[in-house]
Amino acid sequence: MSNENAFLALADFLIPAHGKMPKFSDVCGYADVEKSLDFRVDLKPGFARGIAVDPGTGAEARLESLNKEDGEAFSAITTIAIATYYMSPRVRELIGYPGQENVPYDSKATQIYLTNGSLGHVIARGRKYRPTPGL
Amino acid sequence: MTVEVLADRGARARRDEEVDVVIVGAGPSGSVAALHLARAGISVVVLEQGEWPDYADYTGARPEHELVSTKLWHPNPNVRDNPNDYPVDTSTTDINPLMFAGVGGSATLYGAQWMHFLPSDFRVRSMDGVAEDWPFTYEDLLPYQLEIEREVGVSGLAGDPAYPPRGAYPFPALPMGSVGQRGALGMEKMGWHWWPGSNAIPSEKFGELNPCVRRGTCLTGCPEGAKSTTDRSHWPLALKAGARLVTRARVKEIETNEQGLATGVVYVDANGRDRRQRAKVVIVCANGVGTPRLLLMSGGSRTPDGLANSSGLVGKRLMMHPFASVLASYEDPLDSWRGPFGQQVYSLEFYETDESRGFVRGSKWNCMPSGGPVGVSGATGSKVYVAESGRFQDFWGANLHENVARRFGHSLIWGIVGEDLPEESNQVVLSKDLVDSDGLPAPQIVYKVNENSNRLLKFNIDRCLESVRAAGAIETLVSTPVRESGWHLIGTTVMGDDPKRSVVDQWGACHDVPNLYVMDASTFPTSGATNPTATIMAVALRNTRRMIGERRNQKVA
Ligand SMILES: Cc1cc2nc3c(=O)[nH]c(=O)nc-3n(C[C@H](O)[C@H](O)[C@H](O)COP(=O)(O)OP(=O)(O)OC[C@H]3O[C@@H](n4cnc5c(N)ncnc54)[C@H](O)[C@@H]3O)c2cc1C
Ligand code: SF4
Repeated sequence: MSNENAFLALADFLIPAHGKMPKFSDVCGYADVEKSLDFRVDLKPGFARGIAVDPGTGAEARLESLNKEDGEAFSAITTIAIATYYMSPRVRELIGYPGQENVPYDSKATQIYLTNGSLGHVIARGRKYRPTPGL
Repeated sequence: MTVEVLADRGARARRDEEVDVVIVGAGPSGSVAALHLARAGISVVVLEQGEWPDYADYTGARPEHELVSTKLWHPNPNVRDNPNDYPVDTSTTDINPLMFAGVGGSATLYGAQWMHFLPSDFRVRSMDGVAEDWPFTYEDLLPYQLEIEREVGVSGLAGDPAYPPRGAYPFPALPMGSVGQRGALGMEKMGWHWWPGSNAIPSEKFGELNPCVRRGTCLTGCPEGAKSTTDRSHWPLALKAGARLVTRARVKEIETNEQGLATGVVYVDANGRDRRQRAKVVIVCANGVGTPRLLLMSGGSRTPDGLANSSGLVGKRLMMHPFASVLASYEDPLDSWRGPFGQQVYSLEFYETDESRGFVRGSKWNCMPSGGPVGVSGATGSKVYVAESGRFQDFWGANLHENVARRFGHSLIWGIVGEDLPEESNQVVLSKDLVDSDGLPAPQIVYKVNENSNRLLKFNIDRCLESVRAAGAIETLVSTPVRESGWHLIGTTVMGDDPKRSVVDQWGACHDVPNLYVMDASTFPTSGATNPTATIMAVALRNTRRMIGERRNQKVA
């Protein structure tokens, strides 16, 4: 099995299609995976070990054994899979995530807690601190 | 003239020159001391092991943010693995200390939650019969707190009944998002205290700081230059006033003469060469781990137990604020990837001692957004919401999609900061085998979460669950105590009047070495339960003002 197929099999087990959400390989190609690895070169050795596990066994059994025997490889495979998936523009659109966007605002706008009376309740409940004069 | 040009000019140290003051560390505390000393016409050199931040490196605005920041901007130096940091031996601690090396210090990664300590924090012995009172009071410190707020550009709303009356904040509070409103709703349902968050994030343009645009990545560096860190708030002014800053300069030893007075420091420069900076006064601002580490590395054969350590207390009484978090998900959307991250709301409902609860002292809660899909999935990373023994299948497959659908954009996090009481067994020592990139011994942390903290966290988590459920939470996830939560490093060179029971006096001067000062949170006798940076900077300002006023009486080598 090529590296590409070995990883995609694991990734599709971790991130299958479910409801409106696509499976990993429907929205991410191996080029995306390699791009992610270039952002995290520290994960490359664990990733390489992770995809080298006996391809004869099924994805779940391979992940099970990595999780037990090589935490670093398991972590590299899962981190790359999840991060690559949620970077996909299609996935972001489906979950309604524009990224860490810029949202300018009016700093002088009156905040709702000042008009709906909620902060007034806090003030009405009175002083909370313990004064310490003379101590 | 740009900051870059000024910074470059500042870095050119003159060989063998003796300056009035050398400061170790360019974080919040060292930056305050440098600015005010330079403005008073005192010659000052600051040595910082890290570098100037490059804002282009902050990934907050880029798609790869969640992937990259969990390594490059991780608050644990052992994970970051950057040679500018020193590693920390964490094999003997329940909580990992978190920090960052660079101009701006650990605040490069801070949440910018801006809180003063409360009056009772300075009087815990008198009021609650535990630990020690501080040598000064809340009222003594307040004018310095307010002055620092103006330098930092803090936003917030005055009038909180959990504090004595105070003046207005320099900037209006940041807008409270849906996350804050939902957090406040739960507190309101319970009839408990809450208040709009105060943050070191100006809501309007201020000096070198841009207005916050709610990108929500404050904990991994603010790409907008909106979160107040001293590389922007203090250093441009300090450099203009004549302070000099040398980066990639790791101090390995404070030197003393036969009379036991400090004569300067030896540091390793960017090229790995040892250099000496002579000074009349040495100020250490390297944080609650770096400061005792440096004192323990210094002293040579004259004081083999470390410099300024006749009390035996250097490194001891480490406090790190055991921390728990509660993530709560709701049916309706809360846009919970949006900042500020920062605190949108805080609560001091359980701050003061109530002995019927079975513990002394209390907690501060802060309500924050829960962030992007990878983080809230709980499936990878620091495992904050994942039981170590859990089956991996619980977080993957269909469960992943369902967890993300329930939490992403629909959840908030209450952080619970508990006051940590000082214990001599909780301490910083020098590691016997781990070294930094210059071969200097790494600090080792010996720390156990004590019984008071365990009870305090349990009580507060139970209350927090009541509050989030009252506001309609459909899912709650608790993490306690969070291992990666040692962001407040306090107490390791305690201040006091008695040289046998303390390391420094109330002005930060070491009892054993009168021209050696500590001006970071190492000197705090107790930890309070609020985020400490406001108090750290205010105490540094108070000490610096006193040093300037008393300069003619300062004993020097
Ligand atoms: C993730 C995170 C979140 C936080 N959130 C908040 C918050 O919301 N609110 C709050 O109030 N506080 C928060 N804090 C804590 C805050 O960052 C610290 O209280 C503050 O930075 C302490 O300032 P300091 O100057 O004393 O130490 P530091 O900021 O740690 O600076 C010390 C500097 O000294 C340098 N140094 C150390 N040893 C040497 C040496 N031998 N030679 C040369 N240089 C040396 C270091 O490189 C560093 O730059 C947070 C911290 C972290 C890590
Ligand atoms: S929320 Fe504001 S301060 Fe925080 S990262 Fe975004 S722009 Fe910067």
